[in-house]
Amino acid sequence: MLTTALRNVLAHKARSLMTVLAVCLGVALVSGTLVFADSSAAAHRAAASRSFADLAVSVTPAYSRSAPDQPDVLTDDLVQRIGNVPGVAAVLPSAEGSAVLNAADGKPLRVQQGRNQAAGYVPQRHPLVEGRAPAAEGEIAVDRGTAAAGGLRLGDTVTLATDGPAMTARLVGIVTTQDTRVTSGGTLTVLDRATAQRLFAAPGHYTSIDVSAAPGVGEHELAQRITDMLPADRAEVTTGQAMADQQAIYVGTLTRGYQKLPMVFAGVSLFIGSFLVLNTFAMLVTRRTREIALLRAVGATRRQVVRSLLLEALLIGLAASAAGFVLGLGVASVLPDLLSDAGNELPDGPLVIGARSVAAALFVGVGVTVLAAWLPSRRAARIAPIEALRSAAHPAARPRLRAAAGIGLLALGVGLLVSLAGSAEDASEENLRSAMLGCGILVLALIVLAPLLVRPVIRLTGRLTRRFGVTGVLAQQNALRDPRRTAATATTLLLSTALVGGLATIGTSTGQALDRQAADGLAADHVISTGSTMTGIDPAVVQRVAATPGVRGASAIADSVAVIGGKVREISGVDPAGISQAVKLDFVSGSLQDLGPGRIAVSSSVAAETGTSTGRSVNLRIGSSESFAPYTVVGVYRDNPAARDVLGARDEVQRHSYKPGSVQRILVSGDGVSENALRTAVGNNPLLKVQDRAALVREAAGTMSELLTLMYGLLAIGVVIAALGIVNTLAMSVTERTREIGALRALGMDRAGVRRMIRLEAVTVAAFGTLLGLAGGLFGAWAVGALTGGAMKQYTLVLPWGTLALLCLSSLATGAIAAAVPARRAAALSPLEAVAEG
Amino acid sequence: MIVNSLAPQPMPGAAASTVDLTKVYGSGETRVTALDGVSIAFREGEFTAIMGPSGCGKSTLMHCAAGLDTPTSGSVRIGTTELGGLDDRQLTQLRRDRIGFVFQAFNLLPTLTALENITLPLSLAGRRPDPQWVERVVSMVGLSERLGHRPAELSGGQQQRVAVARALVARPAIVFGDEPTGNLDSRAGAEVLGFLRGCVEELGQTVVMVTHDPVAAGYADRVVFLADGRLVDEMAHPSPDRVLDVMKSFAG
Repeated sequence: MLTTALRNVLAHKARSLMTVLAVCLGVALVSGTLVFADSSAAAHRAAASRSFADLAVSVTPAYSRSAPDQPDVLTDDLVQRIGNVPGVAAVLPSAEGSAVLNAADGKPLRVQQGRNQAAGYVPQRHPLVEGRAPAAEGEIAVDRGTAAAGGLRLGDTVTLATDGPAMTARLVGIVTTQDTRVTSGGTLTVLDRATAQRLFAAPGHYTSIDVSAAPGVGEHELAQRITDMLPADRAEVTTGQAMADQQAIYVGTLTRGYQKLPMVFAGVSLFIGSFLVLNTFAMLVTRRTREIALLRAVGATRRQVVRSLLLEALLIGLAASAAGFVLGLGVASVLPDLLSDAGNELPDGPLVIGARSVAAALFVGVGVTVLAAWLPSRRAARIAPIEALRSAAHPAARPRLRAAAGIGLLALGVGLLVSLAGSAEDASEENLRSAMLGCGILVLALIVLAPLLVRPVIRLTGRLTRRFGVTGVLAQQNALRDPRRTAATATTLLLSTALVGGLATIGTSTGQALDRQAADGLAADHVISTGSTMTGIDPAVVQRVAATPGVRGASAIADSVAVIGGKVREISGVDPAGISQAVKLDFVSGSLQDLGPGRIAVSSSVAAETGTSTGRSVNLRIGSSESFAPYTVVGVYRDNPAARDVLGARDEVQRHSYKPGSVQRILVSGDGVSENALRTAVGNNPLLKVQDRAALVREAAGTMSELLTLMYGLLAIGVVIAALGIVNTLAMSVTERTREIGALRALGMDRAGVRRMIRLEAVTVAAFGTLLGLAGGLFGAWAVGALTGGAMKQYTLVLPWGTLALLCLSSLATGAIAAAVPARRAAALSPLEAVAEG
Repeated sequence: MIVNSLAPQPMPGAAASTVDLTKVYGSGETRVTALDGVSIAFREGEFTAIMGPSGCGKSTLMHCAAGLDTPTSGSVRIGTTELGGLDDRQLTQLRRDRIGFVFQAFNLLPTLTALENITLPLSLAGRRPDPQWVERVVSMVGLSERLGHRPAELSGGQQQRVAVARALVARPAIVFGDEPTGNLDSRAGAEVLGFLRGCVEELGQTVVMVTHDPVAAGYADRVVFLADGRLVDEMAHPSPDRVLDVMKSFAG
């Protein structure tokens, strides 16, 4: 049986190739992603242990509950004393914190929580590659990646900020670093030691003291010795290994997201690809009916027939896995380039090929192929020996059973989605999962029903193809000839169209809702914000902004958090007089008139959740204050992102702020105020964001860009696999219809006509899949969208006409392009084929 | 016994003719000369049968004369049109507009109805069928009742009658039949031959048919005999018995 299977694979190289290609694509994505994950994890680990290589123990200040205000003990004196501990080889004190800086174009550079490192200069940590070390206040060095990303050059004046006002410094040196937080897309600012101490600790104090061990002294032993000599409760000791592990884990979580997208692509391509395998084997079985019957007639058992086909699938699966794995190594080696940006890279390292990746490639490739071939092989086993003697094989179809199953599934899916859309209030995990299930059932129903829908749908599209005259009629009739084959070929496009169409619709609708949410309720033209309640804007900056030419009003807002009704909410401290021209507030009851100390206004959803209303009293704890206090609610306003959850008097919020006396937002009104003027007014502080309404909307839409990538990636995969499937089916059909095409040529159809006929057939099949997919996708989007509508007030279903048109066009084009090769082969057939014997 | 009474030059009144037609397949050791300098004319309004033992080249002669196959040397004319200079597109058009075919295996399009199959050559040419002509052809082959049926729903004889109607519908200069009764039982075969005979008599249609059946040849006005790629004999007003005698002489 092995020889038969092998012969079959080799005898139909072209067809086997299509199947191999389809499976290979998915395998490549799976194994590529896994190899990439292993490699980057290994590289991260290596980088982390490199940067902590000479570090045995690190001493950091401990938060003391008993004396929170006492200064820490990490002084030069302690450094000296640790140096005297036996077994200590060297002591390296450092003062580290965070700092953001502006790129050469004045825009904040790579601002990202936890990735904007700053440190006092330590020669061992910051090897210079250019210039010199910062020696005094007003001088800095940056690492190579930061300099490249920001376009910074030696001698440039750089604006930077740690947590307060902007400062300027001259760039005097470029260093390298092994800190993976920086090399994976962050920034490093190196200051002179005294300035770093002043900014991040206190003059003469450090944030950590790193200790290296003398040869033969273990980390844990040394840690114990140092712990013993430290003042109790005032400092902590961590071993270097623990720190390396910690940092590797931390960076690992930052980069783990990178694997998600390729894995989704891999899953989808394998899922769609499995239908192509199924279809190929189904066609093979139909074509080989006579051959299989003959085998049965000469004594092959059913089991042998099944086994022979599965063996053939196994061989194809193995070939696909091997090819896919090799391709996957290529994917793994380009992924880091795709995922890193200018200047900074994911840590470099060799490709790590783990057993897991190899096993996954094999398992996935072989598994999908054999599983997909299983159904057709069962059909093959049912072929009776008598079929060998019959002239034409008519596969027994059971349309009634199919219709019953399909309609049952359809009813189930539609019912689930409609009931969800009608009853579900929010996009809770549970509801979303039900929606996904509903969509899945719906798509399954479409796949089951597709062969029955071929006739009505293609009759409809036939009205268009008929315009091409008799070639169009023949194309339509050919597509109708074997509805099961047509449906199976269209399934790949059905799936990808449903996925992409549905996602595009949900994405566009959500995006527009976010847009509206971002700009709704805001009357001001620009927003200047810190983006964090831990940093603040100086009152002087507010004055400068207000004095900027063209500014009609500048309303300063102090943002903080407040605990109300057991939940942490966002509170905005405002000046009731000026706020109305900056924020469009819509009061359900009460007003802002009485806002003041001890009196607040709440949004309608907070009011609903805490069961409060105008005139009642609630307990509230704002920001850093220690205790709850009663506040009177003076008004309830409709939810407004610009006004956050709770409005309070600015003085009161500022008093409890983490940065007492500061404000976090300035809402600027005034036409024609330039962003640059505002940037200048805030001293080009890289900590501050200056955004106009469009930028706010863009920022909200930024979350959608990943969805777009996902969508177009899925579209590409779907189109490629669909094309392979169409080539496969048409090639088979052309072979089967050789005599017929010969007759057409003899009767006077020219080559162009034959080509057109095959192309139109492909386009008809593609159109069928696209129409069904669109119907399923849009219905799913409507149902899932209804859930989103519960969570987002501004949500309405928006059809992305452009994307949908592109989707349809690309699907139809796929059909036309995929038909090229079979069409050329059909056109090359000689009219003599019509009279050929046999 | 080589007879040279056949016209060596294209003559007026010939629907199709060949001069020194040679067709060679393969090369070297596998070289086979299927036709060896065949010159023949098919007169307008005449029903000619081409006969000969298997492998004598009778099918090849018909394929070349009908523009389905290209000769190695020599010339083929349909009416006054020399086929040698035509490209594939022109040949296709010529077949579509001026030649009708009846194949042994019927070769109807399974997806089209009988009527659609009959009018297919006109559809391919983008011409509107002349309803009166179609009506006449259809009624002549006796298919008026079954025009809406697909080939799978028709008997072999009915399918071949559809094929005959299809061959006639474009009013071709010449109809070629390749063993048109080869797949039929004798009754259905007689029916089809009757129609071919009828269209020669009633419509003045030129018909050329390849056959190995002496009874079928008996329907023709003239029989030409091929052996080893050469014309070896011809017979006017044949009867099955006389044809059989000539065939026997080849076997002997």
